[in-house]
Amino acid sequence: MLLRASGAVAGREVDVHAVTDDAAAAASGVRHAETLLAFADAVAGTDDAALDHARAAVVRELGRAELVDAAAVASNFERMVRVADATGTPLDPPIVMLTVSLRADLELDRFGAAANTPPPSLVWRALGPLVRPLVFPMLRVIAGWRGR
Amino acid sequence: MSTLSYAAAAVPVRPDLAAAHARAWDALGRPGSWWTAAERIAIAAATRAAATCALCRDRKAALSPYTIDGSHDGPGGLPAPAVDAVHRITTDPGRLQRAWLEALRADGLDDGAYVELIGIVTTVIGTDSFCRAIGVPPHALPAPEPGAPSRRRPAAARDEGAWVPTIPSGAATGAEADLYADIPGRVPNVIRALSLVPDALRGLKDLGAAHYMATADMTDLTRGRSIDRAQMELIAARISALRECFY
Repeated sequence: MLLRASGAVAGREVDVHAVTDDAAAAASGVRHAETLLAFADAVAGTDDAALDHARAAVVRELGRAELVDAAAVASNFERMVRVADATGTPLDPPIVMLTVSLRADLELDRFGAAANTPPPSLVWRALGPLVRPLVFPMLRVIAGWRGR
Repeated sequence: MSTLSYAAAAVPVRPDLAAAHARAWDALGRPGSWWTAAERIAIAAATRAAATCALCRDRKAALSPYTIDGSHDGPGGLPAPAVDAVHRITTDPGRLQRAWLEALRADGLDDGAYVELIGIVTTVIGTDSFCRAIGVPPHALPAPEPGAPSRRRPAAARDEGAWVPTIPSGAATGAEADLYADIPGRVPNVIRALSLVPDALRGLKDLGAAHYMATADMTDLTRGRSIDRAQMELIAARISALRECFY
């Protein structure tokens, strides 16, 4: 959700299918998406030669500071996924409500850890259709206010 | 103080990132809440050994990891339930189940010890993964300092729906008053996840602020680094998807 929201705040449509579908990366709306996804894949993988190649591509296309920040984010989420999964942490109720279509699009509900999140209550289910259309416009307003 | 350094790296590592790693490494070598410093270093060493563990490789390849029995490879010095926890969290986090943790509890692994173990494992994975990503060797583990674990358990921690007790949003007071003080509104579940061991949560937030961003800044979607926020979130989402993390 933060991927789509960060694009909305920046005034561009982001195709979140790039997260799970390489064919969608080039037109995802995220700059250098293919290069960054290849780097993330190599960081999560075990092929050192593939990582050397992906690292060199990030430096060549984005820069050295960008490599450090991409590496920092990737390794941060190598930590955070394990914190969430090892503690059986359920998704926060507002996020459950706001990500119904996103989870369906990306087929995230098939992940085993989805069992840690109970179905939304009647109140959250009722709120969902009312709140979801307002979220991105509100985020754009907040971002504009912060940018003043 | 740790001698951890990125001076030999081919790319310029931000000073705040190097400093956060040095703090994490120093903490690794000190006694914790539930483990001695020597045990904490043994957990760190086991985390590294898990990457080449034959049992973990066979379990990862199996339709269900729960159908494969055996012994984990790696150094000793830890109780068997702790070794299994380290290896499973490291190599196959997306298929952990509550029943698995309950079996570890029945074998004597205390909730506090388990949460502190998660903090150590994820500190090592985050730091080692960063080193590999920028092309430098992993840092040598620190020498353990003497001392006993504090065995301090926050009185406010309770069952909030996760597999381990957590301190509710708004209930961090006294010695834990700093834990959520920088977070406006309701504290996200994943931030509260390690709150049963306050120092583990402090370490999680400290590294997170340097690797990604401070918890309080996460809702500011205009905030990026040398890569913009959408690029950061794309990488984050891809890693989460590869690890089959629902959160």
